[in-house]
Amino acid sequence: MVKEVVDNPVEQQIAPESPVKQILGFLSSMQLGIILLLLLSVITLFATFRPMQLAIEYVYNSWWFLGIMAFAGLNLFLCTVERCGPLYRQALRPKKTMSADAIKKMQINTAIKLTGEPLVKAENAFKRAGLRTVVTATPEGPVLFGEKGKFGYFGSIVTHFSLLLILLAAAYGSLTGFEDTNGGYAGSNFFVPEGRFRVDIADVRMVQEENPVIRPRVYTDMTITRDGRTIAQDTLSINYPIRFEGTTIYHTTFHYLPEITLKDTVTGETEANKFMMGNKINLDDQGTHIQLMEFFPNFSMGRDGRPFSVNYLPERPVTAGILVRDGEREASVFLQLDQPEVIETAAGDVEVLLTGFDVASVYSISKNLGRPYLFIGSVLMTLGLYMSFFLFPSRFWAVYDEGKRTLLIGGRGFRNRIGTEQTLEKIEEEIKTREEK
Amino acid sequence: MFERPPGLIPVSPLGMQVENTLFMLAIIVYLLATISYLVNLSGKKEWGPFASTLLKVAFLVHTAFIVTRTINVQRPPFVGHYEFGNLFIWATALVYIWSEWRLKDKYFAVGAFLTPLAMLYFAYLTVIPSIIPAVYISRSHRPLPPVLQSDWLTIHVFTSVFGYAGFTLAFAAALMWFLKEKVSDRSLLGKTLPQVKLLDEYMYRASAFGFLFQTVMIISGAIWADISWGRYWGWDPKEMWSLITWFVFAVYLHARFTRGWTGMRTVALVAVGWFAMLFTWVGVAWLLSGIHSFG
Ligand code: HEM
Repeated sequence: MVKEVVDNPVEQQIAPESPVKQILGFLSSMQLGIILLLLLSVITLFATFRPMQLAIEYVYNSWWFLGIMAFAGLNLFLCTVERCGPLYRQALRPKKTMSADAIKKMQINTAIKLTGEPLVKAENAFKRAGLRTVVTATPEGPVLFGEKGKFGYFGSIVTHFSLLLILLAAAYGSLTGFEDTNGGYAGSNFFVPEGRFRVDIADVRMVQEENPVIRPRVYTDMTITRDGRTIAQDTLSINYPIRFEGTTIYHTTFHYLPEITLKDTVTGETEANKFMMGNKINLDDQGTHIQLMEFFPNFSMGRDGRPFSVNYLPERPVTAGILVRDGEREASVFLQLDQPEVIETAAGDVEVLLTGFDVASVYSISKNLGRPYLFIGSVLMTLGLYMSFFLFPSRFWAVYDEGKRTLLIGGRGFRNRIGTEQTLEKIEEEIKTREEK
Repeated sequence: MFERPPGLIPVSPLGMQVENTLFMLAIIVYLLATISYLVNLSGKKEWGPFASTLLKVAFLVHTAFIVTRTINVQRPPFVGHYEFGNLFIWATALVYIWSEWRLKDKYFAVGAFLTPLAMLYFAYLTVIPSIIPAVYISRSHRPLPPVLQSDWLTIHVFTSVFGYAGFTLAFAAALMWFLKEKVSDRSLLGKTLPQVKLLDEYMYRASAFGFLFQTVMIISGAIWADISWGRYWGWDPKEMWSLITWFVFAVYLHARFTRGWTGMRTVALVAVGWFAMLFTWVGVAWLLSGIHSFG
């Protein structure tokens, strides 16, 4: 598992391990981890070719998929715990002495002929190459030991721990949280039963981006209260949600709300209302109505007779609908600002008039208590991977050979042969420049 | 609601011309570098430094293209396949140049495998759409819709191009490993290709580099999704494919530790990981649909 050559050969095991130990050994093995990761890859690969909703319902949220993830979590947990002790010993109890023969057998080694005090020169060169050094006296002579990147040994532990934290935080978040959708316009309010709070929308404003074909940004001023007490108050817009108590309210989209005034041409009575697309505007009690289909802030008609909006500037607002009479679609209706359409109904002629429009914002509301832990887990994972792959632990030993004329240097890298070779090159260069001086 | 294509950012004819010229020029110099690396691989050692210089020139021209594009679109150029593809090739060249500088000329041979991959990515941006009509790569200068105006998105894209760059380098080394194993040591290729041990290490380091960036890419994407859509993970095909890529490279990085999972098996895993990465970028857009298909 670990690339370093083990100094003492493993003792022969005489008695077979107990079944419990064997099971634990299997559950904590990296082989099992690899199999589980491959299994998860293959399952998700097939699932992505299904429609997303079906994949979520029948795969990603199924008991067996979550079960495999939990099993992988258990495997990871056991493996990490088991590796802690050996890694601790490996990282913090290095062997500080080494025989000349052992150094000669190392994959990365060199012999340098030197004059003067070679070990002192080598120690300085080790230091210049970024190694922390110690010299230990042994009966065979002094041994110089240097190492760097010690934290790199713990990279895998930090990474695995962070992954466990992320898995647990995701599970915790989805078990204790909720997701909801709601919306409203200036002056309206709604209640979120799962969170026991009420949302009052003071204002919804549109601000057009410089480019008029880009959807405008919509800002909502809202106040969130519980039992009359304010718990949050802020302005939200796309990419700027409101957060409180582990709950977040996001702006997801907006709709135009045409304000339509109906005027009874006989009595002169008027009635104004705001409508959503898809709503019906009832014109009489016989079922005659206009079904609203679309709103165009800047109306135009294509050559093929299809209506469209030139851009988002509210220069020529028109709302389109279909007049339905006796259950039959009779005609398309285009209501322009302040230009009445007179429609015959059972109750006499009715004047239908677009008198203005408003905007309604749609919010997704979710509570996720796992979020801060997910974030910590993410930071730790980045750190752990950095430690694993960018802090290259390496160790070097130097001893005299053939009296004091030759210096033997040997090195071992943990996961990084090229880097260790480069460190040795650096040490050699340092020693040579010192020798020339 | 709109009939016409969404409005584009007005770009001066000069700006347009500079941009397109630099793009073509970059491709030409990259192609020359590719040829030179291949000549070097065929045993003409003196072509190595020349190829390396050409690649650096290509990289500078490409950088100038990216700067021009940034000025023309008035934002970092990371929207759509054309802009992302260019960033990705640019990052791949940068990471390779850096590795060449770190590892010295022993590794010029890698260039002969890496630059053709970069040319393959260029082909996707240029000639492949004219061969496969279903693939359409738009070069238009589109402004950013509000949902894409986020710092997390910028981090997301920049980490992803470096992740992909690492995986491309790893795949180049995997190809070399495969060839080195197949050809005899006395053949021309056998002599110019580095030892399998070194290639194995190169593949590992490049994968690890890619893996770190791919991880940050997934994390920053999740944070952005959480802020924009109210959920950090939506199980959409693009997210799932980046996770599959991540799983495959995680398996590779672990497999390298375990006995019996060396050699051809690890090389195969890197190749599968590279395919998964390519599918995340190209396949998902044209074969699967989801929130991420902004074009
Ligand atoms: C069920 C799953 C997993 C198991 C059983 C497992 C097991 C192991 C083991 C035994 C090691 C060697 C530890 C050492 O002595 O350094 C290791 C290394 C490592 N693992 Fe995992 N692991 C799993 C999943 C993951 C995942 C998903 C990641 C990615 C985030 C990961 C990241 C790492 C890293 C970065 C290393 C160090 C690798 C290296 O030095 O090349 N592990 N893992």
